[in-house]
Amino acid sequence: MREAHPTDEWQMKSNVKDGVCYAQPKTLEQRVAIAQDFTKRYKFPLPFGIDDMGNAADAAYSAWPERLYVIDESGHIAYRGGMGPFNYNPKELREWLAARYGAVNHDTAAAPASAAQASAPAPASTSSTSAK
Amino acid sequence: MLWVILPAATGSDSGVQGSVKRFLKWFAGVVAMLLVAAFAFFSYMAGSPKDAYGMVRYALPHMHRGTLKVGSDAPDARLVALDGTSRFHIRERTGARPLVLVFGSFT
Repeated sequence: MREAHPTDEWQMKSNVKDGVCYAQPKTLEQRVAIAQDFTKRYKFPLPFGIDDMGNAADAAYSAWPERLYVIDESGHIAYRGGMGPFNYNPKELREWLAARYGAVNHDTAAAPASAAQASAPAPASTSSTSAK
Repeated sequence: MLWVILPAATGSDSGVQGSVKRFLKWFAGVVAMLLVAAFAFFSYMAGSPKDAYGMVRYALPHMHRGTLKVGSDAPDARLVALDGTSRFHIRERTGARPLVLVFGSFT
């Protein structure tokens, strides 16, 4: 989805410090390129899904700038995290998942469930998808 | 040459107008102070006036609470895969097991 702190909008000092400096993508190709940079830099193993320039996924999930969801097996929202950045809470999600499905075994990295990271680099692993 | 004689404002008229003007000035002053206070608060929350401006100008217009709740049908959307060409629907990844969606951006 849209970059939160591109160089041509609201760039933060941390972007410069961490070397994460990108202009707001104007085309899908530019968004894909940023997502690819992310996965290469962090060797992200999870499946990625990139929102198209119409930002349909962002609109559907009110996701910008960052948010966490869990969709259960019946296709319903089982967990809806707070809106980032202040209410983005991966720890809370981990605890929720552990309470509902049991503790996560981080050693089994080769077991991709359905991870989708939408909007940005979406690491797809076991039930997790990153959306960019 | 035409002389136009206008009636002088009466004492009561000028008094009312004066009160209205004073009220408007007071109101404008209060609004200005509230705006300055709001910007100062934003600057404090964001870390600096530049960040406060960035938050108001670039972030707030794109942040939406949305209407989804726990229990809602999960909306579907078509996403582009990392290769930039293939596409898939979020719904294609649901069913067999729970799906965690992590929305974010690199910057």
